[in-house]
Amino acid sequence: MFTTELFVQTLIAGVVIGVLYALMALGITFIYSIVKMINWSMGEFYMIGGYLQYLLIVEWLGTDLWWVAAPLSAFGVFLLGYLLEPLLIKPMFTTAVERKDDYAIVVTIALLLMLRNLAAALGGPYQRTPGSNLPTVMLGPLPESGARLAAFLCALAAIALFYLLLKKTWLGLALRAAAQSRIGAQTAGVDVFRLDQVAFGIGVGLAGLAGALLAPVFMVFPTSGVVTTVKGFEIIVIGGLGSIPGALVAGVLLGVVESLGASFISAPYQNVYGFLLVVLVLLVRPTGLFGERTRQA
Amino acid sequence: MTSMLRIATATLALLAAATVAHAADPVVIGLEIPLSPPGDPTAGQLIRRGGELAIEYINGPMGGVLGDRKAALAVQDSQGRTESGIAAYRRLVSEDHAVAVTGFFHSSVNLAANEVAKELGVPTMATQASASDITGKHYDVAFRTHVIDPVRVSAWLDFIKAKNFKRVAILAETTDYGIGLAEETEKQSKQQKLAVEFMTVTFDHGSTDLTPLLLQVKAFRPDLLVNIGVGQPMDLMVEQAATLGITPQTPMLVSYDAPIRPQFWQLHPKTGAGLYFIAYYSPKQKLSDAGEWFAKAYEEKYKESPVYSSLNGFGDVLIIAQAVNQAKSTDPKAVIKALETGTFKSWTSSPVTFPRADGVFFHNWSPPVLILQYTAANQDWKEASVIVEHAGSAP
Repeated sequence: MFTTELFVQTLIAGVVIGVLYALMALGITFIYSIVKMINWSMGEFYMIGGYLQYLLIVEWLGTDLWWVAAPLSAFGVFLLGYLLEPLLIKPMFTTAVERKDDYAIVVTIALLLMLRNLAAALGGPYQRTPGSNLPTVMLGPLPESGARLAAFLCALAAIALFYLLLKKTWLGLALRAAAQSRIGAQTAGVDVFRLDQVAFGIGVGLAGLAGALLAPVFMVFPTSGVVTTVKGFEIIVIGGLGSIPGALVAGVLLGVVESLGASFISAPYQNVYGFLLVVLVLLVRPTGLFGERTRQA
Repeated sequence: MTSMLRIATATLALLAAATVAHAADPVVIGLEIPLSPPGDPTAGQLIRRGGELAIEYINGPMGGVLGDRKAALAVQDSQGRTESGIAAYRRLVSEDHAVAVTGFFHSSVNLAANEVAKELGVPTMATQASASDITGKHYDVAFRTHVIDPVRVSAWLDFIKAKNFKRVAILAETTDYGIGLAEETEKQSKQQKLAVEFMTVTFDHGSTDLTPLLLQVKAFRPDLLVNIGVGQPMDLMVEQAATLGITPQTPMLVSYDAPIRPQFWQLHPKTGAGLYFIAYYSPKQKLSDAGEWFAKAYEEKYKESPVYSSLNGFGDVLIIAQAVNQAKSTDPKAVIKALETGTFKSWTSSPVTFPRADGVFFHNWSPPVLILQYTAANQDWKEASVIVEHAGSAP
């Protein structure tokens, strides 16, 4: 059934979910741009962010202080990433690891399995939700849950803040330098290993923030990160690996394509439409919409 | 000659020792349950509780199996996936030497395991898996103590007729369970020539956002929304339908008994009131003496009343132990014969049998199907209104 109202409602729903997907993907693409590796365990950091949000709200802060809990949860995940990076990722650069890409894959997949099983062991396999007292809001013709709208607005704010961090601060300048050339940045006196640690922390912190914001929307359980990992990687392929504007645009595009496809073509294939978009982009522009060709010696 | 005698004596002694050791081995009953997503781990844990208490009952008041042997439970996680389910069944049979495997919750897993069971010969017993083909294929190894799709659908069509609903939207996950129920609904409504317009929308079990589908459903303006999701999709639908303003104006019927679980109200404190849902156990039902023992032991151990998943998990393990006793053997063929010809005690006051009946009722025993409604938030499921009570028999 097609009506203009239904189309507009579905479009809005797609944009909202797309921005949330983009926040998840931003962490993946940011880590890649600095550390030059794919972190396959990003979904699990998203999941940890959700659990931290749940614990902070249920045990201490209460539902109304979700906006205090979310940055705390993101910071908690940042700290976890900051502490894990020297143990797991830094050896890739400081020891004689010949095949860095393979090392990164193995280590991050091992981390994925460990975190997922740890969550199941500690928290049990059950779904949990921190709940939300935010009322339903009308976004044009679309009734939207207050929690999802709050997540959407906070995601936009986080993306904007992240952009400002990169563009307007010394840390951002160092991160951009390292993304362009690690050796060049090192020659200029930047401690790239410390930068990797910070970048990894920020990247997983963004995923943790997405998890915290979406905890009342999608619930929290040990494998809640699986779908987000898949969506994240679809987005970085569509948007271009290492491109932050690309992650945002691709996230929105993916959200819209999936929503419209599920609503007006066939619902069971909702996830397939995203993969078809990936294939189309790879055929037309293999580096992604905003990606750039690079050369490696 | 003396050395021959020594060798013969030593051989006899070894054989005797092996026989004694074998006779002392516990009789293992396999429990294949979802303990992690994408399966429904809450269901798995509840069934496990029932299975573990059944072992206590068998080794305690029942006096063991085959005389003086103890019963033991071997548990494997199916994860709600067919490939994990097949591997779990194989491990239970080949490594744990289970005499039978029960606990099945997800129909897809049970169907897949039955194909392997057909080869390996160790019987399966569905605890809460309802797809017709589980017993409809008439495999000698497949048994079930749960409601099957035709009976469930018959119950909710009775509900639809009683409430005079004219437009019904069905949102079903694309699993054997979901598709099976959607197709059975269509089939029975045609057979009964119901003047009801159905809209069926299917979705992937792993979907995290059902908003686009629910918008289509909202545009259809149904009188009833039937929620055929299991686990997370079911919960998502309850919340997202409320957000979009579909419920509570349009009532929702949940296709299985998840709302009776203690965690239901934690997940849906504001959206659970008014919900209709299927249940298979009424507090008004009389329990058997084993059922009474179980209810008391469960409340002492878990500080909450038992629910159907635990009751049926208990009943299935108990039935298998009784079948082994009746067969006087752990041989799978003998156990199957005993299951087919015997009468068993379970948690209900009525005895359980598994006749070689026609159609999907082959090797099947079914509890009654109830449709309950929560009329207030945080309501105990035992206080929920009973809207439909349907015998667990053919429509």
